[in-house]
Amino acid sequence: MNGHPTREQDFDLYALGALEGDEKAAIGNHVATCASCAEKLADARGRLALLALAAPAVAPSPSVRARLMNQVRSEKQGGALAPAVSLVPETTGGIFGRWWAAVLVPVGFALALASFVLWTQNRRLDQQLAVLHEDMQREQQQLQSAREVADLINARDTVIVPLAAQPGMPKGSAHVMYNAKMGMLMYEGQLEPNPANKSYQLWIVPTQGNPISAGVFNAASTETDHFLMKLPPGIAPKAFAVTLEPAGGRPAPTGPMVLVGAAS
Amino acid sequence: MARMVQRDEAALEALYDRYAGLLSSVLNRILRDTQAAEEILQDIFFQLWRTASQFDASRGCLPGWLMVIARNRAISRLRHHNPAAGEELFENTLVLLPMSLESAITQKELMGRVKVAMEALPKEQRAAVELAYFEGLTHSEIAERTGDPLGTVKTRLRTALETLKRAMHP
Repeated sequence: MNGHPTREQDFDLYALGALEGDEKAAIGNHVATCASCAEKLADARGRLALLALAAPAVAPSPSVRARLMNQVRSEKQGGALAPAVSLVPETTGGIFGRWWAAVLVPVGFALALASFVLWTQNRRLDQQLAVLHEDMQREQQQLQSAREVADLINARDTVIVPLAAQPGMPKGSAHVMYNAKMGMLMYEGQLEPNPANKSYQLWIVPTQGNPISAGVFNAASTETDHFLMKLPPGIAPKAFAVTLEPAGGRPAPTGPMVLVGAAS
Repeated sequence: MARMVQRDEAALEALYDRYAGLLSSVLNRILRDTQAAEEILQDIFFQLWRTASQFDASRGCLPGWLMVIARNRAISRLRHHNPAAGEELFENTLVLLPMSLESAITQKELMGRVKVAMEALPKEQRAAVELAYFEGLTHSEIAERTGDPLGTVKTRLRTALETLKRAMHP
């Protein structure tokens, strides 16, 4: 190929890996020397990367994250293992006047030492077991949360509601992802930091009845706040709103409305 | 990424939390093997940590890179191509995503658009796209797999890509 590819889809097909032989080589050679076509190929790669989103959501096991961070920490320490610490302190021998004392005293001492070592090891193993048990419980909770988020994302009847800032209120914006059947809600947004004696509170305003609290949170300075909430299933939403409430939140909204978005 | 270069573990955790779900989904879809998918997922993020200083934001956005790399690695594994030892994460590949994927809700919105666009394709076109994207097959390999003439496969794929492009980026 002497000139530019003639059809836009040529870049897509190349990025997809569907081309072969001369067709593939011609585009590969051309983009290596043509900046504008290299950029078109980059756009094609980006477009095609989005096809990954057609895959059903599968949350990774929390153990992957734990293994990754262990690997990172090992790498930071140069991969070296900490020097092994002997559980048995060094002892020095003594001189005894009687032969049996010379035998029994060291034997007794060795037994006492062995008992102490076993007791220490047992205690340490108990502690390790307790830590592992806590880790396992935490991982199971994380896995459960990750699965719930994946289910929420995958569900066709999940709605996404943008929440807009109200005039005269702290600046910010947010989205709520909500599935009434599952009773699951995910909030994600950025708001100006709240005063120390106040908290933000998210409300679901049902089509019938009073607003229901869907989470109390404090806004960090720059980070996006996000949280997942479980609510009673079947609440049909009319709107979602964030109000500024006394610290810790209130059972019913009392403060000004900062963000609001209609559900339909 | 600047915090990653400073060896900030919390930055890696934040990036992992943001993108691991996306990568896990595509890795599982391609490999259909949870253990293999998780190995590659861990490997990608570990390499990201080790080579963060090589990332050049002017050459593309991170989620785009990650998705391209995840697909490439998974297809290499699927087709028993072993990536070269010491393969660089930031290969000389420019990737420009048409939109941000930073938030879970944006990901969900976009996921809905992509799924709707894929489902709206005629069955044969959708199958051709899936064989090419999720199995890494070329034109002639798709023709061999489906038993359709090569020219038909080429036309199907070209038409499908054009339709997807219009549907996803109106």
